[in-house]
Amino acid sequence: MNALPGIYKPLKAKVENIIEESPLIRTFVLRPEYEFSFKTGEFIELTLDGFGEAPFTPSSSPLERDKMDVTIMKTGYVTDRLHQIKPGEILGIRGPFGRGYPLEKFHGKEVVILGGGCGFAPIRSLMYNLMAIRDKLKKVILCYGAKTPEECIYKPFVSEVRSIEKFEVYRSVDHADETWEEKEGVVTVLLDDIQVNIKESVAVVCGPPVMMKFGTFKLLEMGFGEEDIYLSMEKNMSCGLGKCGHCMMGDYFVCKEGPVFTYREIKDYPNIWD
Amino acid sequence: MKEGFHLSEAQWTHFLENHSEKYNIYAPVRHDKIIDYELINKVGAGEIDYNIPRPITPLKLFFLPVKENVTLDIGDPSRKNIIIGVPSCDLIALDLLDEIYLNESFPDPYYLYRRENTILIGADCYGVLEHCHCTSYGGNPYPTKNYDLVLSLLNDRVYLLGNNKKAEDFLDEIKSNTETSEVSDDDLENIFSKRKEIRKKLAEMNANLPDYKETSELIKEPDESIWEKYSKNCVSCGACAAICPTCTCFLLVDRPGFEKVRQLDACQYPGFSRVAAGGDHLKKLSERFKNRYLCKYVWKPEKFGSIACTGCGRCIETCIGEINKNELFVELASAVEA
Repeated sequence: MNALPGIYKPLKAKVENIIEESPLIRTFVLRPEYEFSFKTGEFIELTLDGFGEAPFTPSSSPLERDKMDVTIMKTGYVTDRLHQIKPGEILGIRGPFGRGYPLEKFHGKEVVILGGGCGFAPIRSLMYNLMAIRDKLKKVILCYGAKTPEECIYKPFVSEVRSIEKFEVYRSVDHADETWEEKEGVVTVLLDDIQVNIKESVAVVCGPPVMMKFGTFKLLEMGFGEEDIYLSMEKNMSCGLGKCGHCMMGDYFVCKEGPVFTYREIKDYPNIWD
Repeated sequence: MKEGFHLSEAQWTHFLENHSEKYNIYAPVRHDKIIDYELINKVGAGEIDYNIPRPITPLKLFFLPVKENVTLDIGDPSRKNIIIGVPSCDLIALDLLDEIYLNESFPDPYYLYRRENTILIGADCYGVLEHCHCTSYGGNPYPTKNYDLVLSLLNDRVYLLGNNKKAEDFLDEIKSNTETSEVSDDDLENIFSKRKEIRKKLAEMNANLPDYKETSELIKEPDESIWEKYSKNCVSCGACAAICPTCTCFLLVDRPGFEKVRQLDACQYPGFSRVAAGGDHLKKLSERFKNRYLCKYVWKPEKFGSIACTGCGRCIETCIGEINKNELFVELASAVEA
């Protein structure tokens, strides 16, 4: 057999720019060698040549085909090394993989988005997409939390979103300083203040596991339906093809049937928040 | 079983020896207590052990090598593989492997290539090993699916019965080289009665073992104490998964030049499900231990409808902690009943 379809072979992508979002979080602006399209919420596998591969959900608009942003927190083997690379270097991309956000189900609804830390990355991509379809939405409320003001990412993006009709952004930090003019406390406190018609709403949660857990419980308490809460699950997605088994959560391959699940789909599986 | 014939064992051996350059022929050979597949070359065909219970190596390793670069072109396409003496437990396992590796959204080209270029000659088991339990899980000690031909050696005659077009071509090739005889009704009767005898033996020796469905329900029981007790002897070596005909999880290892090497892996190893910031839903050994059974008896059958334990018993035979999952299930069943 000669030319094999390369389901394991990455597409090369040049790092055009690196944006420092916070001390631990950087956005890598990638230009793939061919046009690359994805749906919001789907993920890619990013390869550091000869070193390792890790899953990330792009943070840029899915409507852009020639360029893709990937926002990465320095937190492990591959990401530590990614934070050392310079513009001009070549990375590899496989994908897109999985099931993203079902935007058609958001039509006619209010969308409440709860994000924490680097969980803003997939959410930013989602929000770019929601901006493009805002005629079909009632409103979009983003509640975002970080540990400190310094760790709040995408500051220019937040200012941009605040000027858009139907879009609201609320932020909190665990530990405020004198420069902080917004809320202090864990991100779920923001939910106490929002004006939302829960019957006509869907919720999206993305962030560190403990924040997703308490965020989800709070949304349930507020009256959101289990099938209306969309969670972006983080498991050890490796092959992306529903084969290698590392991301199995019960009978789901998170890489294929996820990473976006409704709470109803996964609530009965063991250790979902670990 | 459809078309076929029989020939003398000597002629069959001669045929294999003459074709050992055209095909890669693998067949079970006994070395002391161990029976395993060997590559048959010009002189080795007389050593083959026919109709023995399963060889030690699971069939999966012919399709999913322990290590393989999955970014390079596949090797020499001119030689087909023939695997002789594949037991039914390994053939049934192909249902699940095909579900995963030939899944229509991402068919794996390497697996597909090997499946297509292999002739599988299944064999009736004319013996049982201590831990064989295929009949408890709906299987039989003779090939019923996923084989191209089935072989039975009775009274120095090799009976070959084909199951599909691939088999037909191969049978024609044998016929044009050797003297063959038609299979009579009496011959078939002999084959069937031998099958019945072994089936009965297996059913008797595993009479206490819960069946597959029951096992699935037992595993869902909330009591964790039995799992903790049995996992005390587990050292996470992963031998159970390595030797299992249906365990096919793997790791992708990066090599320079954006190459990837697929290496078989196991959920029994620490870190199998660890993510970047340290989260790991299989951190505890007892959770990993149970995970493998949840996967085999609950999740995989729910997801794919194919069974994920075919009762080959290799995991029991291989475990250095002497963990016998069948004893575990019998104990679990009696604990639940009590």
